[in-house]
Amino acid sequence: MKSIKRCQKIISLFIVMFIIGMVILVIKIQREASFYMINSDTLSLGKVYDKNGDVLFDGTGEIDSPAGYLIDVGNLIGDDKGQMGNTLVANNLKKLNNYSFSTGLKESGGKAAIYTTLDHKANRAVYDAFAGNDGCAVAYNYETGAILVCTSLPSLDVTQGYDDIDNFPSGTLLSKTMRKTVPGSTQKVSTLIAALEIMGPNKLFSKRFDCTGSYHNKGGNDIDCHQSYGHGTLDIQGAVENSCNPFFAQLIEDEDMPLNKIKDVYSDLGYALNGADEDYIDINGIKCETASTTLMDPYEFRTQWGCIGQGDTLVSPVQLMMWESAVANENGKMTMPYLIDHITDVNGKEKEKAKTQTSQRLFASDTASTVKEILLTNGQNHYAYSIPGYNIGVKSGTAQVLEGEQENSLLTGFVDDPDLPIAFCVLLENKNSTWITTDSIVKVMLDSLSNDNGNE
Amino acid sequence: MSGNTGSYISSCVFVLIAHIGMLLNVFFNGNYDSLNQVIILSGAVVILDVAYFIAMLFFRQTTFTVDFLLILVLNMSVIFQSCFGEVVFDYKHYITCIISLVTCRCGYLLCRNHKWLREQRKFFYIGIFILMVVILTLTGSRGMWISLGPITIQPSEFIKPLFILACATSITEQQKKHKILCFNVVYENIALFGLTAAICLLQWWCRDLGSLPTFVAIYAAGFLLRICYPKAKFSKKKLVGAGAVLAAVAVAGMKFAPAYVQDRLHVDIWADKDGNGYQQSQALIAIANGGWFGKGPGQGDLHNVFAHKNDIVFASISEEWGLLYALMMVLAILIIIALPLINPPRSYFHGTMSAGISAAFTVQMALNIFGSCNLIPFTGVTIPFISTGGSSLMISGFMAGMLVACQSPTMRSPHLNEQIPKRQLYPRRRKA
Repeated sequence: MKSIKRCQKIISLFIVMFIIGMVILVIKIQREASFYMINSDTLSLGKVYDKNGDVLFDGTGEIDSPAGYLIDVGNLIGDDKGQMGNTLVANNLKKLNNYSFSTGLKESGGKAAIYTTLDHKANRAVYDAFAGNDGCAVAYNYETGAILVCTSLPSLDVTQGYDDIDNFPSGTLLSKTMRKTVPGSTQKVSTLIAALEIMGPNKLFSKRFDCTGSYHNKGGNDIDCHQSYGHGTLDIQGAVENSCNPFFAQLIEDEDMPLNKIKDVYSDLGYALNGADEDYIDINGIKCETASTTLMDPYEFRTQWGCIGQGDTLVSPVQLMMWESAVANENGKMTMPYLIDHITDVNGKEKEKAKTQTSQRLFASDTASTVKEILLTNGQNHYAYSIPGYNIGVKSGTAQVLEGEQENSLLTGFVDDPDLPIAFCVLLENKNSTWITTDSIVKVMLDSLSNDNGNE
Repeated sequence: MSGNTGSYISSCVFVLIAHIGMLLNVFFNGNYDSLNQVIILSGAVVILDVAYFIAMLFFRQTTFTVDFLLILVLNMSVIFQSCFGEVVFDYKHYITCIISLVTCRCGYLLCRNHKWLREQRKFFYIGIFILMVVILTLTGSRGMWISLGPITIQPSEFIKPLFILACATSITEQQKKHKILCFNVVYENIALFGLTAAICLLQWWCRDLGSLPTFVAIYAAGFLLRICYPKAKFSKKKLVGAGAVLAAVAVAGMKFAPAYVQDRLHVDIWADKDGNGYQQSQALIAIANGGWFGKGPGQGDLHNVFAHKNDIVFASISEEWGLLYALMMVLAILIIIALPLINPPRSYFHGTMSAGISAAFTVQMALNIFGSCNLIPFTGVTIPFISTGGSSLMISGFMAGMLVACQSPTMRSPHLNEQIPKRQLYPRRRKA
């Protein structure tokens, strides 16, 4: 019988190996079935809602909204037509599909849905505030990470289809909030953070540099100030408020600001330096580009110009906004943004409720507090008139693009109010061609959000 | 039989209920234009069931377990195959299933006398040699099929039972060791190794790499049992050595595989879902679409994909009948394979034969199911008894018959109408 058992052992070995394989297969199919379905030609998509239940996308195609109603969220929410890849719907088809392995694909009556954090009313108001000018605006709750406003112009109403796609203006099919752009002087917030991290507030506040309208740097190049007759002698508070380029150029050259330490701080902030591989910030599947710049030589024009926010430096509005959260929270940690509050599955069961997450500490809490104070002072001194009623900390910027032929205006900041903890960034393209300002857009944004907050 | 009438009838009833249940599902949930097709299918299945139950009575067997499982699985496959896309009775598959049942009987009758089998050993080698020559000369340019008018034959399938028999009959030769230089060798082992290498090279040549692992598994099962014969325990050193050689050969095989094999080894089916990954991606989508309980007989879409009746048949069944049903089908085949564990083989020779058959069936199922579901590289092999293909079904049936021949009697002797004493079945051995 022993010899017979030996035969049985061999047979058992084959059977056991096969059964193990089958178990692995069933688990794999169970886990990946939704993914397989997304790759099929038959989808049954549900709806996407804003925070108040307004439909932003209807997978059934039965949405009954006036033409242009969804234009403010068109290139952010997107659709499943494949024309836009970096949108909420395109990257979350699995969640939106009325399918589960147990129930199969529900052609009708499925309850799969995505409930976003967006405030469509406020978003629309901000979109309208651009008055047809190109640009983008993003705002989120810096305590929770919930994105409330995220609009980008030009845009499209996906319910109107793509028949006229050849005539769409450039940039229609993407959300500029996620794309890198020249940050202008909003970049000085990063340089300010670097200076505070390296030399501390006392030493930094003790520094004084002269501005005569132009600074001939140690590398032999001129760094011009936007105020041609100069700002005179400035400290760091004055330099930030006046957005003084020569001050910051001299700060970069200062012996108390070694370049390797600036690089360290910039790396911590998330910059890809000197052509290093760039990463992405993932916002519910949407890829947001991360910052990049060149820091080679503190006396070199390109490095100084980059630290001032021109030239090689590129940052997305979302990332500028996230840095503001690290300042506003006074802990040096960014609050990670999210667009999806929760989803419901095919049976209507609530799942994947969003949780607030923060980044690693980018800079010290003391640095955050100091920057916050500087920006709040700037807000009180320069924006109290244009954005009244809010205690805001802000930094503006003017970015030279298209080889200096066009100037974009940026405004990034936060509201220091526990009832309205909003961080934001607004980009207005070709600012010289319009009477609209970033201040006015921010004002509309905050008014809409505070109204909505009050109504809740 | 007289003493087992109750269990025989209850087994018949079980098989009938299983098939009628499936046919009712076809009737209520199936996709058909004409009810006639359902009636024809139902009639054909029930008639084949009843006819086989009656036919079995004429065979003086002492165990019918494999037979009942075989008719259960074969008629399940008739129902499956008749429903893909639309309910239309698949008479061709039905006929091959009947042939499979016949070859099962042949397998049983030819293999039940092990003494006679041992005497025919040289004919197995000759048979394999002839089939290899046939493949080399008649299958066209590096193909594996011979076209004979309306039918095609895959000669490599016929090598499988002969190869299993060659491995099994070599067991008794293990005592005949010959000294060559300083090595004690068994001529039979060298011959078998040479035969295996020749078969593998032939499979490689005719690009039938799907069958290659099946032959390797049969050889491995036989080899393991040979090298341990007649010792009471497995020789660990030999086992490790054999495993290492097998792993080295597998690695070398994958490294030096031709370009089309390399493509299959490394293809990302989702990135290339309209190219090399088409069948697998569609198969996985179909399984996902079917879920646990399926879309209903004839309601699937996979019938539009090439080889939905054989190479990706597991997915076709899952889509229409559900993954649960497909797993039950696999379980039924597994029970056939696992029968030697419940009802031990009659002798070491029969055990070796059973191990070879089990190896062939499990490896074929694994290659088909795991390959079509992208767990391993995709090869075009069939699931025994389920996939269409005359050669495959014939040989699967024949090997099932071999399995019946290997079984110990479990029913009362049909001649003596009395229970065979256990001692007579497994005579005690004297300790040395």
